[in-house]
Amino acid sequence: MVLPPADGHVTVGRVGGSDALLAARLTAGDDRALGEVFDHFAPAVLGAALRVLGDEAAAQDVVQDVFVELWSRPGRYDPAVGTLHAYLVVLARHRAVDLVRSELRRVARQERSHRLAPGEPSPSPCEEVMAAQAATAVRDALRLLPDSQRVIVELAYFGGLTCREAAKAAGIPEGTAKSRLRLALAKLETMLDRELLESP
Amino acid sequence: MTAEARDHALPVDLRDRVIAAALRARGAGRAEPAAPEISPAEAFRRAAGAFHDTLRELRDDQWRTPTLRGLDVRGLVGHLTGVEEDMQRCLAGDPAVAAAGHVESTQAAADRQAGRPPDQTRVEWRRAADRTIALTRARNPRAEVAVHGMRLPLDLLLVIRAFELWVHENDIRAAVGSPPSAPDASTLTLMTSAAVRLLPLVAARTGLDEPTNVHLVLTGPGGGTWDISLGRTAPAPAAVAIVTDALGFCRLAANRATPASLDAHVTGDPDRAAAVLAAATALALD
Repeated sequence: MVLPPADGHVTVGRVGGSDALLAARLTAGDDRALGEVFDHFAPAVLGAALRVLGDEAAAQDVVQDVFVELWSRPGRYDPAVGTLHAYLVVLARHRAVDLVRSELRRVARQERSHRLAPGEPSPSPCEEVMAAQAATAVRDALRLLPDSQRVIVELAYFGGLTCREAAKAAGIPEGTAKSRLRLALAKLETMLDRELLESP
Repeated sequence: MTAEARDHALPVDLRDRVIAAALRARGAGRAEPAAPEISPAEAFRRAAGAFHDTLRELRDDQWRTPTLRGLDVRGLVGHLTGVEEDMQRCLAGDPAVAAAGHVESTQAAADRQAGRPPDQTRVEWRRAADRTIALTRARNPRAEVAVHGMRLPLDLLLVIRAFELWVHENDIRAAVGSPPSAPDASTLTLMTSAAVRLLPLVAARTGLDEPTNVHLVLTGPGGGTWDISLGRTAPAPAAVAIVTDALGFCRLAANRATPASLDAHVTGDPDRAAAVLAAATALALD
């Protein structure tokens, strides 16, 4: 290993800060790149999450999930496939829709447990707030359901009725109400998927 | 800024909260996915294997192709046989090899290849490299050794030796018109880490005395991120950030590329960044 004298007058080439460069820096563990990506894209990520959830605190949780995911697994973003902006916004929508879905499932479970154990305590205020967030998110999708299914969902979720009470209010047998509720929930999930895929 | 961005200003504490959570999930500095860890001895063994593979691909007439310092391929391989012989003297505790010159001490081994059939040169080198590998197996990798004017831990020396074999393998490939080769990510990770570890020492030797904090980001396989302090200690050192490809940085550290030819993204004082890259060239890990 021969050490030649150093040339102290060197011209340094420059390259632009493209998405590919940002991705390469994230992969290399450059925490400054994480800060730059956050500063540039976090408002759009927050906006995307808010559009689905309608709740600031829940949307901020999604922002955290999205950037932790990007930093933990930077290789999942492929600059050849699309922009970093699009990747992060789509990831935010996915996470937000996942939250809505899990809330729908939680409400359905609660509904079942109410029927099986009517004496159980009422949901906590926190649970009620979360249920309200989920309801806001699916209202638009509800309008697209057939009337027969929309009515039973509205009675069960927004009217706070048990399945039996909703069936009685709608003037249909309980079995029919359950069946319509099941079909409606399946359609709502599909609609939320389609909305996600068609979003810009 | 998008309509979404205008509509939804960020809460003041969100940035800190998110970045703290991200850094808890994965610390800064290390590439993701991380290359599987290997020992310096394994890196040397792999570099020797790759070098030997390149030699086996050569036609007989290509062994007479000029490479560097007036040596043809045969002479360069002989030089490396001489380096292995000096390594073995070093591992045996021979003090004479500590101060020996890297080129001068191995010139006889290079010269004796003249007129030999290529296979004899290749086999002699392979046996010498295998002997080095066998001798290092029983040694404490953290124990200091001294060879060719360097005193350093054996594990660091083995990584430098892997560096040297890769560089000369590519000298030969360039001479005969073969495409360049790259070490695997695990070996490259050890090579970049060694180059970064040695950079402050070499920077001091090249006269980079001004206090400078360097944020060095090496991208691609073998990459990572380092914050390095160079020059004198001072309360407010200059700061530069350099982002470049790990393999390109290794070529620079091997004195096989120039800072001007490096595809680097630099922020901060460009003159100071240029001095840092010049110091990397002076590592001369060949």
